[in-house]
Amino acid sequence: MGGVEDGQPPSKRLRLSCAGSSSVSSGVRTEEPVAASSLRDSMARPRQCQGEEEVIGSRGMIKKLEFVRLIAGALYALGYERSGACLEEESGIPLHSGAIKLLMQHVLDGSWDESASMLQNICLDETIMKSAKFLILEQKFFELLDNGQTMDALTTLRTEISPLNIKTSRVHELSSCILHHPHSQNGYARKDSLKPKLRSEVLDELQKLLPPTIMVPARRLEYLVEQALNLQRGTCLFHNSSDLDMSLYADHHCGRDNIPSRTLQVAVNGEVVLKHRLCGHQKSVCQVAWSPDDQQLLTCGTEETVRRWDVLSGECLQVYEKAGFFAVSCAWSPDGESVFAGFSDKSLCMWDLNGKELESWKGQKTVKISDLAVTLDGKQIISICRETAILLLDKETKVEKLIEEDQAITSFSLSNDGKFLLVNLINEEIHLWAIDGDIKLLTKYKGHKRSRFLVRSCFGGLEQSFIASGSEDSQVYIWRRSSGQLVDILPGHSGVVNCVSWNPVDPHMLATASDDRTIRIWGLNGANMRHKVVQNNGTHQSNGKL
Amino acid sequence: MGRLFLIELEGRIYSCRLCQSHLGIADDIISKAFHSRNSRAYLFDRVVNVTVGEQEDRMMMTGLHTVVDIFCVGCGLPVGWKYEFAYEEDQKYKEGKFILERNQLAGPNVNAFPFVEAFGLVGIPEPVDDA
Repeated sequence: MGGVEDGQPPSKRLRLSCAGSSSVSSGVRTEEPVAASSLRDSMARPRQCQGEEEVIGSRGMIKKLEFVRLIAGALYALGYERSGACLEEESGIPLHSGAIKLLMQHVLDGSWDESASMLQNICLDETIMKSAKFLILEQKFFELLDNGQTMDALTTLRTEISPLNIKTSRVHELSSCILHHPHSQNGYARKDSLKPKLRSEVLDELQKLLPPTIMVPARRLEYLVEQALNLQRGTCLFHNSSDLDMSLYADHHCGRDNIPSRTLQVAVNGEVVLKHRLCGHQKSVCQVAWSPDDQQLLTCGTEETVRRWDVLSGECLQVYEKAGFFAVSCAWSPDGESVFAGFSDKSLCMWDLNGKELESWKGQKTVKISDLAVTLDGKQIISICRETAILLLDKETKVEKLIEEDQAITSFSLSNDGKFLLVNLINEEIHLWAIDGDIKLLTKYKGHKRSRFLVRSCFGGLEQSFIASGSEDSQVYIWRRSSGQLVDILPGHSGVVNCVSWNPVDPHMLATASDDRTIRIWGLNGANMRHKVVQNNGTHQSNGKL
Repeated sequence: MGRLFLIELEGRIYSCRLCQSHLGIADDIISKAFHSRNSRAYLFDRVVNVTVGEQEDRMMMTGLHTVVDIFCVGCGLPVGWKYEFAYEEDQKYKEGKFILERNQLAGPNVNAFPFVEAFGLVGIPEPVDDA
């Protein structure tokens, strides 16, 4: 049985190895390059470059030597072996010194002893040297073990690995491998960390150990370009388009027309087709929640009961109530198997779909006007428990965490990933809290108007990177989530905008509900407008969740 | 109409005489020795469920003050004012405090379980406190 074949072409990066000098620290080859004359002028005096490094770019921040090495690395990573070698030759700047090239080749060939001794030729810090040696010898040990050369493996462990005197616990782990070898009798299976790696993986790890000047990190250029794109995306004020739309050819920039800012449709009674009238509540409905599969609805009548409806038939499937008290809020569990409600005795309740009470939490758990939500894992129940506090109640551990504000909380909404909570306050501020792990206030959003009504806000857009809110000045406000910067104010409604809902699938569609008795659908400015206002003649409901 | 956001108070509650929205509790009264044009008035440390009007300077018996009128969130009834700024040094204690006019108030009513009140189970009326 031979060594582990890792599929690397044996000739990789060998081309210049024979010509490479063993002086690593200089990093610049001293030979006259056989290059085009224009390049030769600049590269003919490499020794002088060492003291005062040549720089490129408008700000002189990029060291030419580093840049060329990265390009060569990128070429090799792309599989352009010949171009990479050609660049090294033409520029006279080797990607890696001869010693490193030899070392890499030895590792790929599985010549562990040569690799280890090669390390001595590279001037390295003592601790780095030991770690690198450990890495190489460990791989040697595993490969011997897998080849059935248990005694040789043992010798390596005893005479080569142990004397390094580092990572004692790891050495113990290695020796346990010998005891349990060969081949998983009595069901003992080795962990992945106790198996030989691919040789290319050993190289990757080696690269992480060695200083980057000696061994250039793999794919470093790609990483830098990605960093630039990320930065462009992060500073793009209206960013709401897919990463596929980003190009290296030009700096990325989304225009204002990438967020929904134009009314596409005004839906009042008659504009949309009435499917069912869900009759049963005696009072106005304050909350409506879609089931996770979109087949059912949960509704909460203000100071009344909670009802579950079948969307296709319009039938009321179940009524949830608690004798002597009225319901104030309702929510689905993420699996759609149970429902939650808050009650006027300040308790929270959980039922199965058939109305059997599964659990209830007594004490100060909710207030009269409260939202209710359950995190994606189904573990935490979120409710406004006091005028100025939101309770995060762990269903299983019973641990209670609090988000405490200085001002009264009017409503909240949970982000799609369940890690963030958007909290609306009575003093015309919206606060974004991280609730995953440590509870932390991240960002504040201001500008909208609120004095009398429950005005809701929501997350939305691509990766939920925007915040939208209704307002009592009849406008819709949109902020950038990360910075809190107000990016757009949408006029159009003629009454208080109570509720906003950003399409969870289409980042370019937003719906708003208003006291002007209409629902508006907003889309991109460039889109075709289908603006039809139909005379309003009936009931309205815009105070619940959309 | 959208859903009004009304805070529920607990304790001995003064509410709007028209719509019964809670406005303040007896424990938050700083002084009952105030007067408005039409009635007696109480100075409250904290008042809820009100909206504010425009700021204006008003000459009172105790000197010049910057005030804003306050209105019940539920029905818009003017129920008093809030002191934003007092020009006289010895009146500074009123800044940030609220006046509720007695003739616009109902109560105080005890409300131990505020939620239940809407069901008509509790809500024991107490004699009007005129002290």
